[in-house]
Amino acid sequence: MSTASVPSVPSDDSHGPDGTDAVDPTPVQVLPAASPRELRGLMKDWRRGRATRNVGQALSDAYVAVIAALMIGAMTVNVILKAQRVVAACDSASCLSARALLPWAAVLAAVATALAVARLFGPVLASAAEGFWLLDAPISRSRLLRPRLVAALAGALVGGALIGGLISLLTGSTGLESAVWAVATGLSASAAVAAAAAQQGHERHRLSRAASFVFGLLGVVALLGVVGVAANWFTLRLSTTLGTEIGTVVAGIAVVLLLVATALAARRLSSIRRTRLVSGGSLVKGISGAFFALDVGLARDIVVQRRTMEIGHVTPKRGHGEGLQALTWREWQRLRRFPQPLIAWAGTLVVPYASEALGMSAVTPVFGALALFGATVPMLNGLRVLTRTGGLARCLPFSTPQIKLAVVTAPAILAAVWAVLVGPAFVGVAGGSVSRPFGDASLMAVATAAAGLLAAIRWTQAKGVDFSKPMVSTQAGALPPGLVTNLFRGFDVCLLATAPMLLGFSPVWSLAISAITAIVLFNSFDAESMQARQKEAQRQLDLQKREREAQATLSRQRKR
Amino acid sequence: MQRDWSTPAVRHTSPVAKRATVLKVSGLRRAFGPNTIFDKFNLEVRAGEAIALTGRNGAGKSTLLRCLVGADRPDDGTIEVCGNPMSETNPQVRRDVATVIDDLDFFPDLSVVEHLDLLARAHGITDPDAQVDEVLEEVQLVPQSGQLPGTLSSGQRRRLALATAFVRPRRLLILDEPEQRLDTEGVGWLSRRLQAERQQGLAIVFASHEPTLVESVATRVVTLGAPRG
Repeated sequence: MSTASVPSVPSDDSHGPDGTDAVDPTPVQVLPAASPRELRGLMKDWRRGRATRNVGQALSDAYVAVIAALMIGAMTVNVILKAQRVVAACDSASCLSARALLPWAAVLAAVATALAVARLFGPVLASAAEGFWLLDAPISRSRLLRPRLVAALAGALVGGALIGGLISLLTGSTGLESAVWAVATGLSASAAVAAAAAQQGHERHRLSRAASFVFGLLGVVALLGVVGVAANWFTLRLSTTLGTEIGTVVAGIAVVLLLVATALAARRLSSIRRTRLVSGGSLVKGISGAFFALDVGLARDIVVQRRTMEIGHVTPKRGHGEGLQALTWREWQRLRRFPQPLIAWAGTLVVPYASEALGMSAVTPVFGALALFGATVPMLNGLRVLTRTGGLARCLPFSTPQIKLAVVTAPAILAAVWAVLVGPAFVGVAGGSVSRPFGDASLMAVATAAAGLLAAIRWTQAKGVDFSKPMVSTQAGALPPGLVTNLFRGFDVCLLATAPMLLGFSPVWSLAISAITAIVLFNSFDAESMQARQKEAQRQLDLQKREREAQATLSRQRKR
Repeated sequence: MQRDWSTPAVRHTSPVAKRATVLKVSGLRRAFGPNTIFDKFNLEVRAGEAIALTGRNGAGKSTLLRCLVGADRPDDGTIEVCGNPMSETNPQVRRDVATVIDDLDFFPDLSVVEHLDLLARAHGITDPDAQVDEVLEEVQLVPQSGQLPGTLSSGQRRRLALATAFVRPRRLLILDEPEQRLDTEGVGWLSRRLQAERQQGLAIVFASHEPTLVESVATRVVTLGAPRG
């Protein structure tokens, strides 16, 4: 850093022996304000100076990860090639039109997701350290934050392009068409993030929230279009050439929007409040910490907490009923207050119809259960709070299974409604190759809904990984038990309960598995209480053993 | 150095008439590995008694309270609440014991007043509105009644936690450092409230570092751990 010399100013007590002011002739070195680049360089130096490994060493240690990435990449390419071969078999006008609609749905979904994520995190953010050290410094805030904006835009561009390209490739599109849709999806997502950043500078989010909702809704409409066209409910004359042309137009519009929104966002960077920037950074830090521990539930808790903090205040509603009824009633009130999960739930109704219409009857129960699982988790916030710590449940005068049953009543009724509404898809009204008797189809719908609901309950009840327990030795090093299995919680129930239907057995088997799963999930017959009982039994055994030994010693002493 | 944990220092501050036993602890032991927190700990609390647990940091006050409410499992010994063996999941125990310890959680999407309303209704209180209003006013959270818990300050969250214990019927009150994060006025209110609770026949066990609270509320003081120095 450059320095400047100025004469020192005498202090009050710097008097000479004769009472006259003594002026120190030597100049004092005063540092001028540092530039953002210098401060960033200093912080980088601190971080690197404390690093214990360089990049090369980290890569050599992570050879397993590199090999895994290569394997997953090869598998992805293989899946794409296989999928292209499979979908190429269907070359009717309805099939081609339905497939041509899927990239549209991808663009709309990518924009909706980009807006939602950008609004949640910022999209421009700063870490707590930067907030403390840099944002208070007399430097240009917009110059400091510009790289953050560019990073957010680039991230959205790459992520969107990957999603758009992958979906286009999986639906059997040509290389050119896939490239066009990849670019269009990436640019659209990036433009959405730029628009959210422009809003962030003005401290307004209503527009981006409304846009996110509209694009999400349009995405569901596009998916419904896919189902309708594939099922021959209506026809659309879409060809590969037209798809490429539309994709090019979408990309063109997205570029214009991206440039305008980026210019606006860059101009407003300096007006973003520090608290807003730092809160986005702390959210990222919290979520990344939760993901490092592979605790997806905790990551979701952090997001939920953040959202409710943004809302802050609600109009209180009087409860109804007494006892467990009061608990169930509050769940309905919660859904009325925050109905977004209901929109996602309604969106999942499309999945079984789409799966049947696209000729994937065998996997319809799996897809349906997974979709309902994802849509039900946000409805189980009450169960989550009551099971993650025992504190609140201890305040309620009911047994734990009673509490669980009361708080899942609302989602269970919705799952039952879901089963009724998707029943026709299992009968075969969506125009797939399989049609089933009404009785079988009804049982399949109920079994699928039960699998989705129970999977969501299992996921919600998952406890965080206990790092204080003895580690398990693996090839990837020592891991706490439950670290990896926590990731598959919920998905395992989905697959286990739908496996009989997937293998062509009667749905009654699936219902039986679901019933056993429900007993395990709702009763205290869980691993934790089993361990406690085992510990108690062991303690009693030890006590008896000690008593026997004491008696034996006593009798030996008496004999002597 | 081996310390004698079996005989905690007990100081009586006021005589208590012979009343029904609410909490009975016999031979309680809790250890973390080689570190014994307490051993052969006995305690009997009758209705109208208030037991203050004092001692330096790490003496085992919170661990003991966690064992008493069933949040932690002792290595040995028995705990009985109103004649029932202590089990955190037993509805009768949950009905009898109101607790404020550190693991209390709140629904992120229910407001302050809705939490209290839910608890009052769950416990079958006949006029929940009146009860909730009274407690809400007492803990001075009326202006925050519509706020979601995530937006409350730490002191307000503490008041809400205390309100959850006072809004419902109870026979035993277990509090871990209830004065924490409360302002001076709040500590004064808590002291008066706990005295009133005790006089109405409630049994109280609380850990505290606040001498004024201990002096004014406790009928017996149990000092855990060896004195510092």
